Amino acid sequence: MRANFIFSEVWIGLRRNLTMTIAVIVTVAVGMALLGIGLMINSQVSSMTSYWSDKVELSVYLCKENSPFEPCTDKKGISEEQKTALEAVIKGMPQVEDVIFEDSATAYKNFLDNQSNNVFASFLKVEDMPESFRVKLGDPDQSQAVTEELTGQAGVSNIVNQRQLLDSYFGFMDKLQWMALSVAFAMVFAATLLIGNTVRLSAFNRRRETGIMRLVGASNVYIQLPFVLEGVIAGLIGGVLAAVMLITSKVLIFDSIQNFVPEALGWNTVAGIISGTMAIGVIICILASFITLRRYLRV
Amino acid sequence: MIHFDNVTKVYVNQNRPALDHISVDVDKGEFVFLVGPSGSGKSTFLRLVLKEERPNSGAIHVAGKDLSKLSNFKVPHLRRRIGCVFQDFRLLPNKNVYENVAFALEVIGKPRRFIRKVVPEVIELVGLEGKAHRMPDELSGGEQQRVAMARAFVNRPMILLADEPTGNIDPATSIGIMKVLDRINRTGTTVLMATHDAAIVDSMRKRVVELEDGKIVRDQSRGVYGQAY
Repeated sequence: MRANFIFSEVWIGLRRNLTMTIAVIVTVAVGMALLGIGLMINSQVSSMTSYWSDKVELSVYLCKENSPFEPCTDKKGISEEQKTALEAVIKGMPQVEDVIFEDSATAYKNFLDNQSNNVFASFLKVEDMPESFRVKLGDPDQSQAVTEELTGQAGVSNIVNQRQLLDSYFGFMDKLQWMALSVAFAMVFAATLLIGNTVRLSAFNRRRETGIMRLVGASNVYIQLPFVLEGVIAGLIGGVLAAVMLITSKVLIFDSIQNFVPEALGWNTVAGIISGTMAIGVIICILASFITLRRYLRV
Repeated sequence: MIHFDNVTKVYVNQNRPALDHISVDVDKGEFVFLVGPSGSGKSTFLRLVLKEERPNSGAIHVAGKDLSKLSNFKVPHLRRRIGCVFQDFRLLPNKNVYENVAFALEVIGKPRRFIRKVVPEVIELVGLEGKAHRMPDELSGGEQQRVAMARAFVNRPMILLADEPTGNIDPATSIGIMKVLDRINRTGTTVLMATHDAAIVDSMRKRVVELEDGKIVRDQSRGVYGQAY
C-alpha cells in the first residue's frame, strides 16, 4: 500500500471537484451543527427536568388583608385557626408528601434572591409578600386533583402549580429542539445526495485512470479508497466547521441563558456531542461514497 | 496457459452467441493470432480471459487457474499476470512516458525502488530510450503504442493480450510494433493478438486461430490470414 500515491489521488480529486467539495463541506457543517444544537437543547432540557422534578411543588397562597383575589371576599385575610385547619387538611391528603409554611419574610427573601430587577425589588415590602403553603407531592402528576380539592377552602387565595409554569418553558424548548433536529435531518439527507453526486463526478473524471488500474490488476481497495477518502475528508472538514459553530453557540447562547436556568450545559456534554456529530458526519460520507461507487465504478 | 473448454458466451438481449462452444489450448510461450471479421467474437474471447465477462457454459483456465472458481477478490491478482494492449493506446494524457509506465506498478503497490529500476529497462525494451519525459501528445501513434506495450509488460506478465494493436497505425510503423511484440514473446511471455491486419499475420507465420460467428473455423500453426481451409 503506497500511502502517498493514494493521498495524491485524493488531493487531485478534491481539487478537480472544488465547487462540489465546498458544497459538501457546507451542507455537512450546517447539518451537523443543527444536529448538535438539537442534542444540546435536548441535554439542557433533560438536565433541567431532573433538577426541577425534585423541586416542583404547589404553592397554596393564603388570603391577606385587602387581598385582591376573588376567594378572599371578606378582605380580612386568613385567621390563625383557618391556617391550622388548612394545614391539617393538606397534611391529611394522601398525595401530599410534605408541607412547608412560607411566611412573608421568607417569601420576600426568596424573591430578592431570584430577582435581578432592582427597581422592582426596591418598592416591594415584606408585607406585600403573601404567605403560602409549599406543598410537595409524592407524584407530581397528581397536582391537578390536589389543586381542585384545595380550591375553595377557606382562606386560600389562589394555587400556583409550578409545573404548569415550567411546562410552557419546556414546551418551547421541545419545539426548538425538534425544529433543529428536523432541519438537521433534511441537511443530512441533502449532504448524502451531494456526496453521492460528488463521488459520481469524481469517478467520471477519473474513468481513464480507474480503467487502467482495473486492467493492470489494482485491488479494489486501491481503486476505491481515494474516492471514499475524498468523501471522508470533506466530511471531516465539515465536522470541524460544525464543531466551531457548536462551540460558538455554547458560548453565545447556552452560556447566556445560564442566568435563568439552574443547570448549565457543561463542556463535557458539548465535547461528547461534537465528537458524536463528527462521527455521524464521517460515517454518512463513507456510506454515501461506497453506495455511489458500487453503482458508478465497475471493479 | 490459456485453456478454453467448450465455452459459450451469450450476451443479454442477444439471440446469437458471441462465442459458440469454443475449445482452444494456448501453451506457454506461444504467439497466437486471433483473426476473423468484426463481431466474430475476438474481443469477447479476450474479455473472457481477463474475467471481465463470465461464460454461460464451459470452463476457462488461465495461468493454471479455473476462472469460474476465482473469487472477485482475486481477479486483480489474475490481471497482474496478464498485460493488455489496445487499439486506442489508453495512455494517461497528463502523465509522461515514464509516469504512464510507472503508474501500472504504483497502483499494485510496488516499492518505489523497484519501479525506478524496472521502468527504464522496459522503456528501452520497447525502443523509447531518451523519450521517457515526453508527454503522450508529443509522440507519434506508433510511439504511443510502444508506451502502452511497455506498461503492459512492465510487471512481466505471463500472458500479453493485444486487441488490434496496429489498428490505428500505418503499415510501416506496425512492423516496429510487431518486432516489439516478438521481442516480448521471446522472453517467454505468451502473446495472444486479435487483428484484422492480413499483411502482419502473413509475415509473422505464427499460429492462427480464425473465428467466424463465434465458432472456430481454423486453427493452424504457422498460418496466414486469408487462407482457405
